[in-house]
Amino acid sequence: MTATAAEDLAELRRPVRGRVTVAAGAQVLATALGVVPLVAVVELGRRLLGGQTSGLWAIAWLAVGAFAARLVLYTLAGGISHLADADLARTLRRRLVRALAELPLGWFAGGVAARVKTTVEDDVAALHHAVAHAPGDMGAAIAGPVVAGAYLLYVDWRLALLTGAAIGAAQATRMRMVRRSAEPAGRIAAARAELSASAIELVRGIAVVKAFGGTRAAERPDATDERPDAPPERPDAPPERADAPPERADAAAERVGAAPARFAAAAERYADVNDEAQRIFIRQRSLARATVAPATILLLVTGAGTWFAALGWTRPLDVVAFLLLGLGLFEQITPIYTARDQRRRARDAAHRISELLREPPEATAAHPVALPAPAGRALPLELDDVRFGYAGGHEVLHGISAELAPGTVTALVGPSGAGKSTLGLLLARFSDPTGGAIRLGGVDVRDVDRAELYRHIGFLFQDVVLLRQSVRDNIALADPDAGDARVEEVAAAAAIDARIRDLPRGYATVLGEEAELSGGEAQRVSIARTLLADTPILVLDEATAFADPESEAAVQDALAALAGGRTLLVIAHRLPTIAHADQILVLDEGRVAERGRHDDLLAAGGLYARLWHAQQEAAA
Amino acid sequence: MIATLFRVVGRGHRGLLWRFLVSTAVYALSEGAAFGLLVPLLTALLGGRTGTAAWWLMPLAAAVVVGWVAHYDMGISALRLSSAWRRSLYGRIGAHVVRLPLGWFDGARTGRVERLFGHGLDTAVQTVTLTQTLINAVVTPAVIGVFLVVLDWRIALAVLVTVPVVLLVFAYARRVTDRTEAASDAAAAEAGTRLVEFAAAQPVLRAIGRGRGASRPLDDALDARHREARREVVGALPGLQLGRLAIQLAFTAVLVVGLLLATGSDITPARMIALLVLGIHFLQPFATLAGVAGGLRVCRAAIERIDAVLRTPVLPEPVRPRPLGPPAIDLDDVRFGYDGVPLLDGLTLHVPAGSTTALVGPSGAGKTTVTKLVARFFDTDAGTVRVGGADVRDVASADLLDAVALVFQDVYLFDGTIEDNIRMGRPGATPAAVRDAARRARVDLVAERLPDGLAGRVGDGGRLLSGGERQRVAIARALLKDAPIVLLDEATSALDAENEAAVHAALAELRQGRTLLVIAHRLRTVMRADQIAVLDGGRIAELGTHAELLAADGRYAALWRSQQRARGWRLTNDAGRPAGR
Repeated sequence: MTATAAEDLAELRRPVRGRVTVAAGAQVLATALGVVPLVAVVELGRRLLGGQTSGLWAIAWLAVGAFAARLVLYTLAGGISHLADADLARTLRRRLVRALAELPLGWFAGGVAARVKTTVEDDVAALHHAVAHAPGDMGAAIAGPVVAGAYLLYVDWRLALLTGAAIGAAQATRMRMVRRSAEPAGRIAAARAELSASAIELVRGIAVVKAFGGTRAAERPDATDERPDAPPERPDAPPERADAPPERADAAAERVGAAPARFAAAAERYADVNDEAQRIFIRQRSLARATVAPATILLLVTGAGTWFAALGWTRPLDVVAFLLLGLGLFEQITPIYTARDQRRRARDAAHRISELLREPPEATAAHPVALPAPAGRALPLELDDVRFGYAGGHEVLHGISAELAPGTVTALVGPSGAGKSTLGLLLARFSDPTGGAIRLGGVDVRDVDRAELYRHIGFLFQDVVLLRQSVRDNIALADPDAGDARVEEVAAAAAIDARIRDLPRGYATVLGEEAELSGGEAQRVSIARTLLADTPILVLDEATAFADPESEAAVQDALAALAGGRTLLVIAHRLPTIAHADQILVLDEGRVAERGRHDDLLAAGGLYARLWHAQQEAAA
Repeated sequence: MIATLFRVVGRGHRGLLWRFLVSTAVYALSEGAAFGLLVPLLTALLGGRTGTAAWWLMPLAAAVVVGWVAHYDMGISALRLSSAWRRSLYGRIGAHVVRLPLGWFDGARTGRVERLFGHGLDTAVQTVTLTQTLINAVVTPAVIGVFLVVLDWRIALAVLVTVPVVLLVFAYARRVTDRTEAASDAAAAEAGTRLVEFAAAQPVLRAIGRGRGASRPLDDALDARHREARREVVGALPGLQLGRLAIQLAFTAVLVVGLLLATGSDITPARMIALLVLGIHFLQPFATLAGVAGGLRVCRAAIERIDAVLRTPVLPEPVRPRPLGPPAIDLDDVRFGYDGVPLLDGLTLHVPAGSTTALVGPSGAGKTTVTKLVARFFDTDAGTVRVGGADVRDVASADLLDAVALVFQDVYLFDGTIEDNIRMGRPGATPAAVRDAARRARVDLVAERLPDGLAGRVGDGGRLLSGGERQRVAIARALLKDAPIVLLDEATSALDAENEAAVHAALAELRQGRTLLVIAHRLRTVMRADQIAVLDGGRIAELGTHAELLAADGRYAALWRSQQRARGWRLTNDAGRPAGR
């Protein structure tokens, strides 16, 4: 059963519900007190007209006291609700971050950074209105008119009903408009989505747009009539060039058509649907406004008041009460409507937050089994009929078996899509096999505590991730207790020590803030980090060695240092690189098609031989 | 504000703007007048003279009707104005952006322009609605103020002295809020980037790090964000309440003065009450004013961002464009730098028509910049770039871009079919010509993989294709365009074997009979170039054929040897170091 967005919002808000309710109560009370000074003015008038001079100041001070109380209540309401909002935001962000840190690594594959940021930052921020404003504002939007209305009814029911009728009529129109506005809203959203997609395309593809047309309409000023006799050369003379003549630029600018076609069409469409959505309401809006404009209500109550007074139904002073309290009644209800979008946004945001919190965390071993050797010693790694398929998708690995003996090099090769990378990800436990098992020292890796597993198997991912921290911290990520000497040692082994020392603040330089590293340099920092982790088994992608042609040799030296003495599983794209491997597994469509050493596989004349010859040809 | 509006709506819509302003002002005036007329009416009514009061109802009714008409007209003209302004802005930005020098589009700016087209523009256009509210909130009280002065200067004084006080308090409150808001925004931005880092680094943090996926900097950033958020709340409260306090004090002042006058002077209670009502209504728009001011600041910021884009100068066009001669490229003592940091420092290079020249050199040497100067994405700081014998600044940009085909590294494909993307090279090309270009660039092999062939969609930015495949589409585009000059930035990343072979074959096609300037990262691919230029220190450090440069045994030879060694590299684990600590 899935919770509705409204339920999600209520649930997320629970930790601060008490404070939010208190704040809303204070705001409602403050709104109600706002009536007091106006009533005081009416009562003062009543005494003055009656020739009474006593007690006037008491009433005036009552008004001032109401003001003071109101100010205190507003301050309390604002402070309590906004602090509750800030606290809730932190609570939720922490919960989300904790949940994220426990999601399966597979969840993070394929660019979820934007989604994470949207949910943790923007969606939590979008709750602001629901937490800090909505309860109080809604309460006030109801309490204000109710209190004022009750007073006015008490003062003169006829005038009150008349005023109420005008407000009711405008309100009915408004509700009709709100209902009808749902219909163009979909069209506006669609047009906006297309506009934004075409804007992104325009801006990102600007080089293509420039090079392949699209600019011509706007860019070629028809200049034949200007200074036909001017000497053609003298490239530096300023009068020869001009920013496209202003009149022409303006004329071009008035047409969206001067912009590239898809964007221009999207902009026209967006403007059209916006106009259309506004146009259908213009008469209603004017009508509603005309009914409840302050001047209209003013005319209504003075007109009716004068008439009723002449008939003796109304005391003239009662009209003053309506002039002070009745004119703004309609506007007091308005927040209910203006906040509709914000409320919907908060509900949607709450739903996304809850969805993320509901994502199942990665599987952890209930009773971890200890590995039969300390972290420093190599254990055999065994793939036993490993199968894998994505949830709801077809199987991509159909039973891979292999033995990685300590100290050996195993290469995974095969055409793209054969499942090489998937197998590597299973070893890193981005996901777990859907059949068969991966065993380390005879123990199913699913039964091993992850921290212990990662002390035995290290990974060099192809996408280098450096954190916006000091170089030292980036390397020491693998072992925060490592001393400076050790960090520098691994950096030297990864052929990056000298470069680091050249940085503005050496090892203390914050990457991404004080210095940027080239692709090859970043790779070597990540190799140093993996060196420091010092795991006996290492899974790495061979493409790493060729990712940056400008510093291939240095990266390769670093890789050689990293590989030394370890059990290696290499995901390989260029066959020559792994020609010396102890065993080569040739994957094809999720199965091991061939296995053996380079020479044997070449002699066998199978898939491996075909791949090898194809690559040799390409290189020639 | 209104001056800004006049500046930004464009000359064509001035009439509309005037009509909008006039009807808004008339509406506000009519409201003010209605309140003003209230005083004699109420005085008569409270004094028991209902007949006189009834007479006053007539001008009041007239003011109300004028207000209705003005409001209706204001609605219509606001709609027309917003619509026209919106269209004109989209047109202007769209047309301007495509004429900006390409150097302007770095990553950050790209994102900003995209946002500008979306919410930025909507926000800017809201200025119209807010101006309407602003005019109301200013003009109506002003009219009431005039009535007050005429009717009773003492009450008027009590009311009017509060105005500067209220405004000053608003301004002060604004400053306090701005300060705390800026600190809070900065903390939020920091938390946001830490969060993205945290998500992107999860595999590393968990599989290599020892902290179970946690990130200390993120925790710190979230704490700091919370701290700043609380500080913002506390900092903003006095400001918000001061505004309220100021209005309430003004109300109190009016009340007290009114009461003093009523008890101690000549004024009749009826008139006194009427003036009091008027004074209270004078104060009411102030609360609105504070809200509008905040909204207008947001709008103004959006307008300024749009303005900044529109004011970015485009590359100047020649008034008398020169035609292009044979497709040679000449760079003569070219100096150029980004943001004042010199990159090219007197670079001279001659690329003869019909020849292939390779640019090689360390990353950051300015290889890409050279090709961008040739296509005139920027103008040089000093020195000249000639294409076809003419200074690029004297050539119509359309002519220049007709003569040049670009195949860059990060190829951007439009969300459409492969065929559409190739056709961009020459929009009028026949299907047969498109297919031919596709075949020659080996795109037909990509198309085979896709269910819809060449009619298969490539996704936003071409993400359904691999890097090598995207580059082949870009080559097909250039082949179809059939421009005499090709500027090519070879892919740096390792292509898989299949793609590498295909790309090389496609490049061989492209080379036929054209002038080629190739940025080469892998020297193997440019061995057969007519000349190889080694770029270093902002100049051409070495120039010659592959054989000549090897013989010279300089930088090129060193680079070549290093890459040869890298090519022969074998990954083994026998570095002789025992595993473990």
